[in-house]
Amino acid sequence: MKDLKHLIFFENLLQEANNDLVKKAQGEGKKALGYTCYFMPEVLLDLPGCFSVRLRAPRSGSPDMATYYMSNRTCHYGRALFERALEGGFNFLDAQLATETCTVTCRFQEHLGRMDVIKNPDFFVEFTDVPFKKNENSMVHFRKQLQVHVLDVLHDKLGIDVSDEALCKAIEEHNEICRLITEIGAYRKLDNPPITGYEFQVIQLVTLTCPKYLILPYLRETAEELKTREPEPKFPYRCRVVLAGAENDDPDFTKLIESCGALVVADRHCYGSLPGREAIVVEPGQAPLDAIARHYLNTSYCPRFMPQGEMRGRKKYLADIVKEYKADGLIVASNKFCEYWSYERTMDALILPRDYDIPTCSIEKEYVNASTGQLRTRFQAFVESVEIKKLQEAK
Amino acid sequence: MKMPEIKLPKPSAITAKLKEAAKLFPDPRDVKLPKNGEELKKAAHDFWYGKPHEERRLGDLYVDKTGLYKHREWRGVKDTFYYFHMIWLYNYANMVADIMKFGGLGIFAKGLWRYRWMGQTYLPVLHWFDRGLEGMRGEALRASAWHYRAMVCVSINQFMNMFKADAKLHNGAHNEAWKHSMAHKETVWGGVFYPWSDQYTNIPMEMIPYFVTCHVNNHTVLNYIDAVQSLGLPGDPCPMCQAEAGLFVLDDMPDYAPFVVTTNEACDGSVASTAIQDWFLNIPLFALPQPMQFDDPLVQEHCANEIRELWKFIEEQTGAPFNWEQLKKKLEAQNELQRFEWEKWDVAAKTSSYPINGVAQALYRIYQTQYGDHYIWHDTDRRVKKILYKCVEKKIDTFPKTRHRVIAWSCAPLYYSHWCTWAYNCWGLNTIINMDSLMFDMEVRTDTLDNCVMDMARYHEWAPMRRMAVGGLHHIFELWDYMERFNCDMVMMYDQLQCKGMQGVVGLFEDEFRKRNIHAIWMPHALPDKRTVSRSEIRRIINDYMSTVMKEEPLDPTLLEFDDDMSW
Repeated sequence: MKDLKHLIFFENLLQEANNDLVKKAQGEGKKALGYTCYFMPEVLLDLPGCFSVRLRAPRSGSPDMATYYMSNRTCHYGRALFERALEGGFNFLDAQLATETCTVTCRFQEHLGRMDVIKNPDFFVEFTDVPFKKNENSMVHFRKQLQVHVLDVLHDKLGIDVSDEALCKAIEEHNEICRLITEIGAYRKLDNPPITGYEFQVIQLVTLTCPKYLILPYLRETAEELKTREPEPKFPYRCRVVLAGAENDDPDFTKLIESCGALVVADRHCYGSLPGREAIVVEPGQAPLDAIARHYLNTSYCPRFMPQGEMRGRKKYLADIVKEYKADGLIVASNKFCEYWSYERTMDALILPRDYDIPTCSIEKEYVNASTGQLRTRFQAFVESVEIKKLQEAK
Repeated sequence: MKMPEIKLPKPSAITAKLKEAAKLFPDPRDVKLPKNGEELKKAAHDFWYGKPHEERRLGDLYVDKTGLYKHREWRGVKDTFYYFHMIWLYNYANMVADIMKFGGLGIFAKGLWRYRWMGQTYLPVLHWFDRGLEGMRGEALRASAWHYRAMVCVSINQFMNMFKADAKLHNGAHNEAWKHSMAHKETVWGGVFYPWSDQYTNIPMEMIPYFVTCHVNNHTVLNYIDAVQSLGLPGDPCPMCQAEAGLFVLDDMPDYAPFVVTTNEACDGSVASTAIQDWFLNIPLFALPQPMQFDDPLVQEHCANEIRELWKFIEEQTGAPFNWEQLKKKLEAQNELQRFEWEKWDVAAKTSSYPINGVAQALYRIYQTQYGDHYIWHDTDRRVKKILYKCVEKKIDTFPKTRHRVIAWSCAPLYYSHWCTWAYNCWGLNTIINMDSLMFDMEVRTDTLDNCVMDMARYHEWAPMRRMAVGGLHHIFELWDYMERFNCDMVMMYDQLQCKGMQGVVGLFEDEFRKRNIHAIWMPHALPDKRTVSRSEIRRIINDYMSTVMKEEPLDPTLLEFDDDMSW
C-alpha cells in the first residue's frame, strides 16, 4: 500500500510526551493536563483553555530510579512513567488529573503529588474517586466527583471556563475525533482493509496524546485519504486477530504481531478505540456533565467493574468484536504485575475458546518489549495454529 | 483362596527405628546432676519457676527440620500445669465440645473427609498454640491463650455451619441450613449482615479454608495457589487472592448458600479473583464496593447507598425483611468489643503490663473485627479484662526481656504470624501493635439509621490491608504517629513481595526511615506462600539486622538457626 501521508508525522509525535503539538498548544497559552486512565474523561480536560495528554513513556529503557521507589515487582508501565517524570519528561504538565483505578498507576501519580518531581511550581495532582459499578448510585457519585475534582478544580486553579456551553463545545470536538477514528477503524472490518493495525494504533494514539484541535486537521485529511487508498491486491496476511488486554501504547507491539502474519483488526485494550471512541450523546434537557459521567461508565469494559453481569458481559463483548471484525483469533496481552488483567487474560484464554470457539493466544508482556524473539515465536505458533484450524474447518 | 502375604518389618529395621527415636530424647547419662547445694537450690528454683530466659535453650527442643518438639517446654510447675490443663487439655476438650455443639460428629467427619483444608488443619491446631505461645509465662501466657481459644471456637462454628448447609455433603440437596446461609468473601465485613443475624447465618467463604488454614498448617494453601496457576494465571498477583481462587478451581469450596456477596477489599486482586470465583459459583452475586478515595467526604454517601443496595438484595434473595432492632443490638455489642480494644491499646501504649503477645493481638483483632460480633469474643474479653486489670494494678512486667518495642507495619506473613513470639524469645523484640489491628478504629452510631449507615460505610472502608494502603499515601505514613503513640522504637516492615500497593512505596519508606533515623527491618514474604521466602530466611534477615546493625547478642542463641520448613 502507498504510505499514509501523515504517518511519519504521527510517528514522530509519539516519540515524546512533550511533542511538537503539545508545545504549540502550550505556546498558545493552553494548559497541559496529564492523565493515565480512560476513567478520567479526556473530554473534560479538553475544555477551551486546556488540553489532555494521556501519559506515555515512549523509548523507555530500564526504569532504575523508579524501581528504587516502586520496586521491580510493580507494573513496568507505572514505573516507566515515573522514570520519565524523574528524568524531567513530564515537566511540561500543568496538572495531573489522577484516578485510583489501578494500584500502580495510582502510586505513580501519588509520587508526583508527594515528591517535587515536576519542575513547575504551580503543578498539582487531583484525585477522582471512580466507582466500581454502573448503577444509578455510581452514576450520581461519579458525576459529583467529576464536578468537584475536575471541573471545580480546573476553574478555581487554572481559570478554565467550565460552563455547560464550554462542555458542549468540548463534547462536539471530542465527538468529531470519535467519528473520525470510528470511520477509520471501520475499514478494518473489510476483507482486505486499506489500513494496518499498526497504522491505526498510531493514529489512535496521537488522538490521545496531542491537543485535539491541533490533531483534528491531520485526522480529517487521513480519513479522506483512506477513502481512496488502495489495499494490496491480495490480502497479505495469514489471518486476522483482535488484540485485547491491558495498557498498550506501543505500536511496535502491534507491528510485531503483524510481522508474524496476523493483521490486527481490532484493539480492545486500555489505549485502544474499542471501547473509547464512541460519541458522547447529550439527551435533550440533560446536563452535559451528566452525559459525560454516564458515557464513561457505560462504555467502559474495564475488568475493575465488579457486578456479575459486567464480568460475563466482558467476554461477550470481546466475542462480539471478534465476530464483527471477522477475526480468526484473539491475542490477549497483559502487562506483567497487572493484577486485573492477569486474571482477565487467564479467564479470556479459558472461556473464549471454550464458550465461543475463538482461538486465543495469551501473552504476558512488559511495557518495553525487549524480548521480541520470544514473542515472535509465540505469535508465529499462534498464526500457524489458526491456519491449521481454518484448514480443518474447510475440510 | 490364597491369603495376601503380609510383609512384616525385619527385627533389625524395628531396632534401627527405635534407636533413631531414642536419639530425640536426652541420654540419661548426659543429664547433669547438681554437684553442690548452690546448684541444687538453683535446680529446684528452675524446676519450680522455670529457667531464666537466657538459659531456656528453646531451640534444643526441636526435632531437626520438623519444628516439632522432642518434648514439651518446662515452664515451671505453675505455668506447665496451666498449659497442660487450661490450654492443651481444655482446648482439646473444647474442640470436641464445640463440634458437638455446632452440629455433631457425623457432619464434622464428612467435612473432614471431603475437604483438604479441613483434613489437614484440624489436628495441628494445638501445635499452632505451641508455636504462638512458646516461651510465654504467667499472665502473658494466659491472656494470649484465651485469644487463641476464641479463634478456634469461632472457626469451628464457621466450618460446622458450612458443613451443615453444604449441598456437597448432603447429596446435592439444598436443606434449610443452606436456605438460611449467606455466603460472602472473607473481606466483606460480617457486620453488614447483622440485620438478618437472628434468622440467617453469614459465613465468609475463604476465612477458614484459606485464612485460618495458613496459620495452622502452612502447607495446605500451596495446593490452591498451584491450582489457579495451572489455569495460566501468572505467579505474580497477590497470592492471597490466588489461593482464594484456587479453592474454587479444585472444587474445595462448600456449596452452602444460595447467593454470595463480594467486594473489592483489599485490592485489585480481590476484584479480579472474584471474577474467577463467580464462574465457578454461578449463583446470584452482589458486589459491594469500597470507595478508594475514602477521605473524600463525597464518597461516604455513595458507600452508604451501596450498603443499602446490599440490604435490598438480601431482602430479595431471602424474602426476610431488614431488622433494624437486630442491627442495633449487634452493633452495640460490637461497639463494646471496640471499647475494650481501646483499653487494651491504652495499656499497650503506656505501660509494660500488656499481657498479649504480638501474634495473639494481631490475629484476634483482625478475626474479630472482620468476622463481626460473636459470643465468644465477649466471653474472651471478659477473661482477658481480668488479666489485663490485674497486670496493670500489680504493675506486672509481662514481657520482662523487652529490648525493643516494635510496631509491625503493612500486611503480615500468614505462614509465619508467630514470628513475633520467636523474635521476643530470641532477641527481646516485643511486638506491641501492628497495622492491621489499627483498622476499624471506630464505634458505629446506633441512634438513627442514617447515622448508623454512614458509620457502617466508614467502618467498611477502614478494613484490614486497606485503611492505610489506599486512599492516599499519607495513610501509610501514619506509621510515625502510631510509633509515637505506642511508644515504639523499631519497625518490622513487612514486605509482601506481591502486594503492588506496598511495593509501590518502598523507596519513600526507605527515604523516610533514613531521614527519621528509625531502625526498620524489612521482612520479605509472600503472605500465604512459604515457598517464596521461608520462615528460616525471615529469621536470618532479622538475625543479620540485630547482630550487624544493632550489634546485639541473642537472648537465646539456640533459636538463631533451625530448620522448620517441614513444620506445620
